[in-house]
Amino acid sequence: MEMIFAGLMDSLSPVSLLFVFVGVFTGVAVGAVPGINGPMAIALFIPLTYYMSPLAAIGFLVGLNKGAFFGGAISAVLLRTPGTPEAAATTWDGYPLTEQGKGEKALRMALFSSVSGDFISTAVLILIAAPLATVALYMGPPEMFALISLALTVIAGIGTKSISRGLIAAAGGLLVGMIGTEPVTALPRLTFDIYRLESGLSLIPVAIGLLAFSEILIQMERLKLRANADEAARKFSDKPEDKYVSKKEFFGCTRTLLRASAIGIGVGAMPGLGAPVASFLSYDQALKRAKRPEEFGKGRLEGIASSEAANSAVVGASLIPLFVLGIPGNLAVAMLMGAFMIHGMMPGPLLFEENSQLMYGVFGSLVIASLFLLVIGRFGLRLFCKAVQIPAVMLYPVVIFTCIMGAYLGQSSMFDVIVMLVFGVIGYFMRKFDFSYVAFLIGFILVPEWERALQQVVITSQYDPFMFFRRPVAVILMCLTFFVVIRTFVLSTRKNN
Amino acid sequence: MLANVVITLVSVLLLTWAIPVYTPAYPGYGASPALVPIVAVGVMLVMALLAIIRTTLAIKGNTPFSEEESTYPDEGGGSGFTQVGRLDIVHLAKFMVPAALLVIGIGTIGYIPSALAFLLLLQFLVGARNWIKIVILAIITVALMYAAMRYGFGVPVPGN
Repeated sequence: MEMIFAGLMDSLSPVSLLFVFVGVFTGVAVGAVPGINGPMAIALFIPLTYYMSPLAAIGFLVGLNKGAFFGGAISAVLLRTPGTPEAAATTWDGYPLTEQGKGEKALRMALFSSVSGDFISTAVLILIAAPLATVALYMGPPEMFALISLALTVIAGIGTKSISRGLIAAAGGLLVGMIGTEPVTALPRLTFDIYRLESGLSLIPVAIGLLAFSEILIQMERLKLRANADEAARKFSDKPEDKYVSKKEFFGCTRTLLRASAIGIGVGAMPGLGAPVASFLSYDQALKRAKRPEEFGKGRLEGIASSEAANSAVVGASLIPLFVLGIPGNLAVAMLMGAFMIHGMMPGPLLFEENSQLMYGVFGSLVIASLFLLVIGRFGLRLFCKAVQIPAVMLYPVVIFTCIMGAYLGQSSMFDVIVMLVFGVIGYFMRKFDFSYVAFLIGFILVPEWERALQQVVITSQYDPFMFFRRPVAVILMCLTFFVVIRTFVLSTRKNN
Repeated sequence: MLANVVITLVSVLLLTWAIPVYTPAYPGYGASPALVPIVAVGVMLVMALLAIIRTTLAIKGNTPFSEEESTYPDEGGGSGFTQVGRLDIVHLAKFMVPAALLVIGIGTIGYIPSALAFLLLLQFLVGARNWIKIVILAIITVALMYAAMRYGFGVPVPGN
């Protein structure tokens, strides 16, 4: 109890509050820009967190992620161009409202729904993460090895149209993650006699290259036209009923909000699915249960509520597998895991034992970020609408330069800049050939833990190949892994036939 | 097909040369340091070969490629966000060459001139033509980054 109180007090310290505020503000601003999403923003800003305390760093990044989720709705509503993939379903009812002059109302509904979904999800996370982590402590190396294998397979299967491409990407991530010092012998492995590689590849340049640099390279191939942004913002009606969401309108969506939040939490807690799946699923459910489904797609507030509440509910819920098992379910969480690792902590069940004060501080920051999102969104809405008007010809060169300097900032090393450029090119090819960069990055992050678990299994079992069969949970997880692979192959073969 | 052929060749190279040469010898306890790399490369090789076989069978049987095995699927990425198109090597080179020159330039002529030149060139390549805006944006960006590194984070400015 003392730890909980101390952690919450830490989250209320001025420095922590300031960084959460800056994180949410920056997240909304960058999320509003089409083409820049939460994981990209986290990758770009992680180098800055080197210079912050662990709580301020995590609070800043969590705020950034939450802000970006709502920010994505701004361009979705104003331009019919989702700023982030999960905001795609928001366009269907958001943009028609903008055309009717009710863009501000649509954005307010998106904000309130986002905050509601996020708040419910955060509450669930706080309530169940610590008890689940206590149970997860009973998992030994065989279960951990099997669990990481399953998570990688699921993510590989979902992240691309072809599981073979997904598995290749995940294996590639594992391979790249193995570059550096081998944990048992403490000798260099796969370093090609380049001494800079002996400490392994740092997450920051790899993530910036794969997530941000390669994405901008591709986006510059077809600069998005945003000429109609001005026009959209000018279309805002001044009538109060077109600007504000009334209590009746908001509470009329209560069922939708609760259902969407439940969907978001369910999807978020499953590795690999991600926020876009939650928002589409939730929109589909709202449509099926609506009294007047024909009004969906023409500017219905319920449509916005279903999409935004669901995708924001994913944010908190996706932290459950990270905090309980140390498994990142999606890219944004993988980046957060990287931030924990940068500050010398390994996410997982032990985190609550070893850093309980920090963990409750993080929980406090999550709640505060939700409140800040409400305040920042409420008062800064018109300001953020300007973000969608930044011309691409000005934005992209600055983002590219930021990628380069961000890669340098992590360790003040030009070698990291070269690594970032190399992974930028790799990411460009991966996107072009539809290899899942999500699976690659998560494989890269998880390989040390995966290999450590394998080594522990081999050493403690004294080379007994049947070790796994004596651990029922590990057997179930391994069976599930094979089931996922075989089922995906069978389904794809059937589809092709 | 092309990507899978490249992956197959790289995997074979890794299995026959890189892993044996650049992996420590088995220390006598635990799993061999080469085991996990071999498993990872093995997965890559098997998956790439399977894809090649499926595509080859499709060519021989004169049946259309499955969407999964076509070289350029319509849309890619786990997020479904990035539209996948044809490779544009010229476009790639247009931005990678200046980036590589920036890395070299920072080491030789210093951060400020090389960063300024890089941003001016990049904006021009992206399609900006208003030179006043181009110059102002370049100066502001370089100055902000310099100030952030030197005074904000206390990090040595590269090349200086």
